[in-house]
Amino acid sequence: MAIATPPTPAAARRMDRLEVMWQSRPGVLGWLTTTDHKRIGLLYFWTTLVLFGAGGIEAMVMRTQLIQPNNDLVSPGTYDELFTLHGLTMIFFFIIPMTTGAFGNYLIPLMIGARDMAFPRMNALSYWIFLGSAIFLYTSLALGMAPNAGWFDYVPLASKQYTPGHNIDFYALAIIFNSIASTLTAAQFIVTILKSRAPGMSFNRMPLFCFAFLAASFGLLFALPPLSADAIFLFLDRNVGTHFFDPSHGGAALLWQHLFWIFGHPEVYILIVPAFGIATSIIPAFTQRRLVAFPLVAIAELLVVFIGFGVWAHHMFATGMSTTALVFFAGATSMVVIPSTIQVFAWCMSFVLGVARFKTPLLFIAGFIFMFVAGGLTGIMFIAIPFDQQVTDTYFIIAHFHYIIFGAAVFPIFGGMYYWFPKVTGKLYFERPGQISFWLLFVGTNLLFFPMHIVGLLGMTRRIYTYPSNLGWTSYNVIETIGGYITLVGILVLFGNLVWSYLRGLPAGPDPWHGPTLEWTTSSPPPEYDFAVIPKVTSAYPNWDVEDREEDRRKLAGGVLVLDEGHEQVEVTPVDGWLSRVVEMPHDSPWPVLLALCLSLVFVMLLLQHFAIAGLMGILCLLTLLGWHSKEPEAA
Amino acid sequence: MRRLELLQWSGLLVGALVWAAAHVIGFGTTEARCNAASPTFGIDFRLWEGLITGFAGLVALGAALAASAVLVSTRDVSYEDEPPIGRIRFFAIAALIANVLFVMMIVLYAVGSIGNTPCVQA
Amino acid sequence: MLIASEATLFGAFIGTYFYFRFRAPQWPPDGIPEPRVVVPLILLAVLLAGSIPMHLASQAASAGRVGAARLFVLAALALQAGYFAWAVHDFSAQLQMFDITRDAYSSIYYVLLGAALAHVALGILFDLWLLGKLVRGLTTYRLHATQAIAFYWHAVNVIALVVTLTLLTAAIG
Repeated sequence: MAIATPPTPAAARRMDRLEVMWQSRPGVLGWLTTTDHKRIGLLYFWTTLVLFGAGGIEAMVMRTQLIQPNNDLVSPGTYDELFTLHGLTMIFFFIIPMTTGAFGNYLIPLMIGARDMAFPRMNALSYWIFLGSAIFLYTSLALGMAPNAGWFDYVPLASKQYTPGHNIDFYALAIIFNSIASTLTAAQFIVTILKSRAPGMSFNRMPLFCFAFLAASFGLLFALPPLSADAIFLFLDRNVGTHFFDPSHGGAALLWQHLFWIFGHPEVYILIVPAFGIATSIIPAFTQRRLVAFPLVAIAELLVVFIGFGVWAHHMFATGMSTTALVFFAGATSMVVIPSTIQVFAWCMSFVLGVARFKTPLLFIAGFIFMFVAGGLTGIMFIAIPFDQQVTDTYFIIAHFHYIIFGAAVFPIFGGMYYWFPKVTGKLYFERPGQISFWLLFVGTNLLFFPMHIVGLLGMTRRIYTYPSNLGWTSYNVIETIGGYITLVGILVLFGNLVWSYLRGLPAGPDPWHGPTLEWTTSSPPPEYDFAVIPKVTSAYPNWDVEDREEDRRKLAGGVLVLDEGHEQVEVTPVDGWLSRVVEMPHDSPWPVLLALCLSLVFVMLLLQHFAIAGLMGILCLLTLLGWHSKEPEAA
Repeated sequence: MRRLELLQWSGLLVGALVWAAAHVIGFGTTEARCNAASPTFGIDFRLWEGLITGFAGLVALGAALAASAVLVSTRDVSYEDEPPIGRIRFFAIAALIANVLFVMMIVLYAVGSIGNTPCVQA
Repeated sequence: MLIASEATLFGAFIGTYFYFRFRAPQWPPDGIPEPRVVVPLILLAVLLAGSIPMHLASQAASAGRVGAARLFVLAALALQAGYFAWAVHDFSAQLQMFDITRDAYSSIYYVLLGAALAHVALGILFDLWLLGKLVRGLTTYRLHATQAIAFYWHAVNVIALVVTLTLLTAAIG
């Protein structure tokens, strides 16, 4: 309930008890052993920002290298490492952990009226494994052996015969390592969204943000294993001598591509669907209106990921597969567009029918819709197999996916940072610099990526470290590089604004936007226990249900569903959200960081080909798990 | 209510599952027909694809009809109403949209796999 | 959820098996014997039989009969450990006949079988841990653990069934 009216003495006593029950250990040890979803979300946030910086530097070096023909700022070998690391970092170490790890972790319990995730220690484990995998990958750069065969690392280039160094072994192991973190996160989100909602929050009364994260989580759960299988096969081929990808012994090079894209295509939907969730949270707040066509948007978010599992070979239209094989993928690709289109119409209609206040978050969403539609239009063009065969591996493709990824994933992330900034920090951001940062980014990214369409059609292929001067590509590259630098300035203004706002911003209060969802009913920042009373929910826009919030105040005063006897949370039935029981939650724990450390050692030993020691480290992991499960929760 | 629940869940899940199966089995059939081991399998390609897409198409259509039946039965209910009836209508709306897409895709598979000459490189 | 993830991993392995199969004029390739049918099926039956005592253990625990639950887990463990010992012996014997590095068939064969055996080994460790907990009595936590581990075994058994049948397709035709 909104903390507008002061609580009664009885209510205040209960809140004090909750404060004691849920407080974290102080200092660095508190952060190392935390299981609080908000702290874990913040850890993810800062870590992914550092990695975003790394990916951004990689991009700027590439753009600077390409500003003029026959440039020699970096060598071809270094350029290979740059584009590979840029792709890997932005996808696996920025967008996924920022949307799921940072936004998802911080906001999902708050949106569903829960005190924490369903498995708080596993949540912490996901973060520490993620950190381990990031350090693992970037160690390769420090050692001068970063992966260098592209982020999709096709064989036979990636095989031992053509890339004998450890570069690709770092790639294969980092991928598997990172996927463990994401798989645990996905399982966590699904169980939390299904079982930890506030009573009354049935599926038809769940915020669209949660539908989006449910879809992305199911996507991750089913998409990551094929990638892991691929990486396992590659590691075995390179280090043990198996023949998965070796045609001379019955293997198939194309197998890599199939398994990769069975992961890779759902992955790109996983990148943008959480961002759709962010957009569908921001739009109602800044139009003060329920989103148009709520059930259609909800199913669209699930459908785009589900159908997205069936389109993978549209990345392989130029590989020589037969037409009768490819029609399955062209057919599915043509239909996968429709759920996205439904969402775009719903968003636009919500703008039109509501009273739109174009504050910075909504500006970013408007920019996102523009760029997503542009990228989507070029995407539809690839359904035509002949056209795709012409532009595959050219800058046209790079233009398409950057419009989608930067436009449809990064813009909502930036919008979301502004939108939830008051909730997380308790301060308001400064509006004018916010708007300036948006326009710099919008102009910069369009200057950066639009000319790529043209230069791609003129024949400029991907992954070339330089180009000759007589092909008419120079002026486009110059414009793109200038656009890149403008984008960089926009990013610096954005983060500078957020830092300055943190230091000097005005107090925000609990609900500066009159937002629709439950996080706006708590204080800013929220208390450790999130909600003093488990909220009553009768719609998908609970903060706008005044009577329910009054009921919560009465419940708090009367001690109903306050759960201040222990470290407790409710569990509900998955579909209709009926209360089923109260569960005891774990406190801060050292086991997650210890297990992540053991797992890191397994991967290091595998890289060094000390397989027996890797096995011993594996046993150490199992012993750590034993310790983790040694203490049982008190009976509720 | 039980019948309504059954229709709602069938509408939501059956179409999705049958599309996924048609996709995997349909694509798998092309792989079996058009590769080195194919002579040992002796597949009548058009017959197989016709059967797979025909069966899947009918089942997906059935799922769409189930969803429609639920929508007709709940026409006085809003998807925002309290569960289970509100949730049932909500899922039925979702199921109808989804199944239209699944049927469309299966039709495209049928046209593409039967209409084209098998095993010709794209 | 994690079981769904593992099942998908096996799905990717099985897809790979058939991908190779469709491209190979001769399967198994020259020099590799066709898989035996009877022994693997008997082994599979032994493993699958373990689902029955695990299910009964789960039911006994729900009814509060911890002694019965312990006995059923022990019975399942005996079947599963028996399967595992025999299967590992078989695995190493086959490695002597044709090595994993021989060709694509052997690569996917040993990865499929090895992955299935690894999951059985993990399940055996779960059983031992569970017995250790149940020796000290029944709590809600231990009840849930019993149910979860029983479910894990049912899933592993389904996976083992699919893997065995897939590998046996090389004996057809």
